[in-house]
Amino acid sequence: MKLTEKDFEMLRDFIYSVCGIYFQSSKKYFLESRIAQRMAQAGTPDPAAYLALLRNAVRGTEELKRLLNDITTNETFFFRNVAQLTALQQQFLPALIEGKAKTGFRKLRIWSAASSSGEEAYTLAMLLLEKFQQQLKGWIIEIIGTDINETVLEQARAGIYTTYSVRNIDEQYRKKYFTVDGQGRFILAPEVKKMVSFSRLNLNDDTKMLFMKSFDIIFCANVLIYFDTASKSKVVQHFYNNLQPYGYFFVGQAESLHGVNDKFKAVHFPGGFAYKK
Amino acid sequence: MNKQKMMEKAQRMVSGVINLPTIPAIATRVASLLDNPDVEVEEVAELILTDQVMATRVIKIVNSPLFKPMHEISSLKRALIYLGLHRIREIALTCSIIKAFEGKDGAFDIKTFWQHSFGVGTVSRIIAQRVRYPEVEKAYICGIIHDIGEVFLSNYMQKEFNKIVELIKGTSHCFVDAEALWLGTTHCEIGHCLAKKWNFPNDYCEVIALHHEPAKATLDPMLVAIVNLADLFCSVRHLDYGGREWVSFNLAEEKSWNILQNYSPKLASMDVERFCFELDERVPEIQDLVDSLFEGLAK
Repeated sequence: MKLTEKDFEMLRDFIYSVCGIYFQSSKKYFLESRIAQRMAQAGTPDPAAYLALLRNAVRGTEELKRLLNDITTNETFFFRNVAQLTALQQQFLPALIEGKAKTGFRKLRIWSAASSSGEEAYTLAMLLLEKFQQQLKGWIIEIIGTDINETVLEQARAGIYTTYSVRNIDEQYRKKYFTVDGQGRFILAPEVKKMVSFSRLNLNDDTKMLFMKSFDIIFCANVLIYFDTASKSKVVQHFYNNLQPYGYFFVGQAESLHGVNDKFKAVHFPGGFAYKK
Repeated sequence: MNKQKMMEKAQRMVSGVINLPTIPAIATRVASLLDNPDVEVEEVAELILTDQVMATRVIKIVNSPLFKPMHEISSLKRALIYLGLHRIREIALTCSIIKAFEGKDGAFDIKTFWQHSFGVGTVSRIIAQRVRYPEVEKAYICGIIHDIGEVFLSNYMQKEFNKIVELIKGTSHCFVDAEALWLGTTHCEIGHCLAKKWNFPNDYCEVIALHHEPAKATLDPMLVAIVNLADLFCSVRHLDYGGREWVSFNLAEEKSWNILQNYSPKLASMDVERFCFELDERVPEIQDLVDSLFEGLAK
């Protein structure tokens, strides 16, 4: 099946308006093949009918979930979002550390709010070890990874990874912070592991969310897209409340909070943006 | 730093270069021909055809996704009709500036310069349309020429230019601040001197001089704000001279954003995130256009 330019734009706009994730035209072929599969399974004859199904008040929600599962990947890997990491290293972290050092409040709190098997949280830990060890001497550093799924949290705590997970890591980091076991798996160094703690958290659990206080940096990538507008807006408000006034909130590379929360202001940097109070 | 002193320094630098390129006479002749309200397309086409390189580039620009013709346009006359006479002045000037700076080795790859320039031109046009600025084509050309001072530095002050690139690498310092610090002037003042030398209209000169300080504009603050904003967006969306400087900004704190919101309050609700994603999609188009402008043409 080939999507016409107009069909592609309609589907892309629909996905963006409902989930806040933007599909570049360069991903048209990818979207085309996944949508063709979904259309065949849903029994819709053409893209217009499929779009009507997605918009259907009764059956639309379930179909949208299935489509999102097919067009997004749940897999994560170390050093995934290079633009964000560069921004943190080059600008945001130095400014945060300098600002906090001046006030004498030597504590840094980072939250990976949909941590999955821990790659994002551990990436941050490695970045701090590698680039900010001197400046952070004597500081209390808390990196917290949370996820709704116990199985991935167990994987995160174990700190054992496949080649896929480490494929984007600089040789220098890989050699320093991993050892390879007999089965070719990558074992994370204890000094990185001990910097991060993992716990189960449902982002929709308002009571628990209230206790996730005073973070300097929060990551929540590629998860809000699965939430409906009302819960998305509620969860983002929690992130807003739990972020320090000078802190940064990061979402996924192609994600947008436009229309979800008008208090957060986007701070642009090369290749991306973060949100700030 | 004292603006007057920076301007004087720029003047000394520009007049110190003996073989400074001139804007080919043809651009001026096209412009004066277009000043005549009764001008015929044939006359303009005939004049442009006397410069084959310019004629080829005009056709390439018209066929680029920036102008989106339904079918490929292969004749200059049809290209001019498609563009409309009001756009030809700008396109002819653009082609002339490309030509003026061609064939000299500079500190940077001239293609990255033109990618940024056409990027800023394209984004300026989009912003101009959104804020209902009446002269969209003027915004486009001013976007394209805003950084001409950079080419001067790259071509004639290579050593100093490379030193600045090295100095700010890996830091969050802006290029323009480093220029002021190390050269005692910036590409804005130098560009301004070049633009005056080439008899550019005053509002073009103002954009070149103040595109990093939009709040100081007096002739056409809206135009300067449009180009400033387009420049910021291009600098964070891969049209950034190959990432030589670290640019970061919060729109709410940008003067240009406030200036434009005064003219067009609707701008406050613009989906800026989506605007960035859409801009990413335009990047390959702009790179292809610039590649095509240099492809197969003798220097």
